[in-house]
Amino acid sequence: MAWRNIWRNKTRSLVIMVSIALGMFAGVAVLALYEGMMVSRIRTVIDEETGHIQIHHPKFSEESETKYTIGNSRDLIQKIKTIPEITLINQRQLVNGMLSTPTGTAGVQIIGVDTLTEYDFSSLKQKIREGNGLVPDKHHQAIIGMKLAAKMKLRIGSKLVLMFNDTTNDLVTAAFRVSAIYRSTNAPLDERLIYVSRDELGELIGLAGQCHQLGIKLRDDKDVEAAARKLKSMLPGLKVQTWKDISPETEFMVRTVDTYSYIIMIIIMTALAFGILNTMLMAIMERTREIGMIAALGTSRKRIFLLVLLETAFLTLAGAPAGILAGWLTANYFHKTGLDLSGMGEEMMSNFGFRTLIYPEFPAEKLIPVLTIVVITAFLSSLLPAMKAIRMKPIDALRN
Amino acid sequence: MSDIVIDTHNISRVYNPTTIPIYAIRNVHLHIKRGEFTALVGPSGSGKTTLLNLIGGLDKPDEGQIFINGTDITTLSPGKLIDFRLHNIGFVFQSFNLIPVLTARENAEFIMLLQGKSKAERGTRMKQLFNQIDLEDKMDSRPGELSGGQQQRVAVARALASKPQFVLADEPTANLDSKSASNLLDIMDKLNREENITFLFSTHDQRVIDRARRVITLVDGQVATDTNVIDTSAPH
Ligand SMILES: Nc1ncnc2c1ncn2[C@@H]1O[C@H](COP(=O)(O)OP(=O)(O)OP(=O)(O)O)[C@@H](O)[C@H]1O
Ligand SMILES: [Mg+2]
Repeated sequence: MAWRNIWRNKTRSLVIMVSIALGMFAGVAVLALYEGMMVSRIRTVIDEETGHIQIHHPKFSEESETKYTIGNSRDLIQKIKTIPEITLINQRQLVNGMLSTPTGTAGVQIIGVDTLTEYDFSSLKQKIREGNGLVPDKHHQAIIGMKLAAKMKLRIGSKLVLMFNDTTNDLVTAAFRVSAIYRSTNAPLDERLIYVSRDELGELIGLAGQCHQLGIKLRDDKDVEAAARKLKSMLPGLKVQTWKDISPETEFMVRTVDTYSYIIMIIIMTALAFGILNTMLMAIMERTREIGMIAALGTSRKRIFLLVLLETAFLTLAGAPAGILAGWLTANYFHKTGLDLSGMGEEMMSNFGFRTLIYPEFPAEKLIPVLTIVVITAFLSSLLPAMKAIRMKPIDALRN
Repeated sequence: MSDIVIDTHNISRVYNPTTIPIYAIRNVHLHIKRGEFTALVGPSGSGKTTLLNLIGGLDKPDEGQIFINGTDITTLSPGKLIDFRLHNIGFVFQSFNLIPVLTARENAEFIMLLQGKSKAERGTRMKQLFNQIDLEDKMDSRPGELSGGQQQRVAVARALASKPQFVLADEPTANLDSKSASNLLDIMDKLNREENITFLFSTHDQRVIDRARRVITLVDGQVATDTNVIDTSAPH
């Protein structure tokens, strides 16, 4: 009978079903977008920033003084290579310093890199927007970020002076020329990081053949913990960190966004709940006499209560899958084509380290909690109409 | 005792007891025996509906007791009362009797479903009842597709489906044209004679009153006259 009642006022039932479907769709879409943003952020961190695992001198991360290297890196690399999960090892020298040009000065981090492995490790080549990168035959070249270039009014071929300490804490000054300008998805880093040749930097600071950081790429994201464990036992004197350790804000962001998405779901559902409540109340009021009549005939209050509940349940169950399906189709579509969010402001997105092209992911693992929220919403919003229905007195309802 | 189905003991029902009290029913003593075919008449506002509601357990008297087949229904809890109505009393209301989304047959079955009767039992009973109300061909029609008279006949079938002690009908013919009204009365009359079903119905309509075999007149909530009509219209 509850089922038949749904068809009684088709428009009204349709409105409920469509709004539940829309609510579900909006919820799924928001979750998919967030999920996509998070996946993309994690990819950016791993593929372009930290890699899967990094190895440093234990004191380096606190004091980052030039002298804290990881020792003879060639031997180390030979040793590490035996771990099967590892696909790429990238050496870097890291020095904090000062950049000065006629325009002014800026604090920077100078990264000494081996061009080819760095290209693989942090997708540096793809980030280069102007210029050729570090060409082997030329000396004292530097790749700088677009933001820094704009701030310091630097162009390809511009001269810049870098100052930093060597291992003995003596100040070193060296002149470089801008050979390329890069742009990543992480604007704050673009203002700080300058890439130069590792051999040249090593000579300048007196650490040829050594490095401060080994960046490691793995075959699969899932291998991170296992590989890190192996490395830790292999290299007791060094600090082994996964991308989660290095970039805890990413991990934190993922969790915060999870919470946010539930809050958004709950807001959507609250709006829905009022819609359901209102519509069901109307449906009950319209049927005052009928409900009074079946109560007079001897229908127990429990049954009348269930009738109203069931009616709402049917509407929800008809609406929710449609919404989820629509959400799934849309998420899948944009998962393939990508969703260009540059309209939201490329500047803003990159300040938070996000790409503007997002590939939404259908939040399959969140489906159960989302459905639970929907079912609870429908249940709660039908409680009041159901109570109203059982409070109707048959004689009042039947009187003309 | 056993053939007295309805027995009201000095019942009264007062509306608005705190402001201007209205005695809708005042000290009514009434005995209805099994198999009676009784009309409850009286001017508008005389308390007919109130009395039927009290007997039907839809309302409680402010004084007195009501015994249905020996059970004092004024002492039953609301839940028990609902169940008592379901198993003992058949109702036919003046209008909005049927649930529009169910077919005639489903409407008539409704009470049996609530009682948890088996499908087979319901099936045979429905066949029999729709035959008796002469609507076998309309079993699967929705109420909207039936005339007012046909709807009331379905309501009678529903009232009888559970084999109640008696059927209460508050102005069952009020919304019917005279042909449909007399047709409905024919069916009630037949069920009364052939199956010994007890009917108590209120009415304003003289032609309906003429069909009753006992007429109780209410005036200002009190029984004014109570007459057994000499049966002149017996068939055969
Ligand atoms: N809920 C109520 N509150 C107050 N007064 C009521 C209520 N119900 C009925 N009454 C009063 O009780 C009296 C009896 O009403 P009742 O409906 O029983 O009369 P009736 O004989 O069925 O009338 P009718 O022929 O018009 O249907 C009337 O005076 C009516 O105004
Ligand atoms: Mg009345």
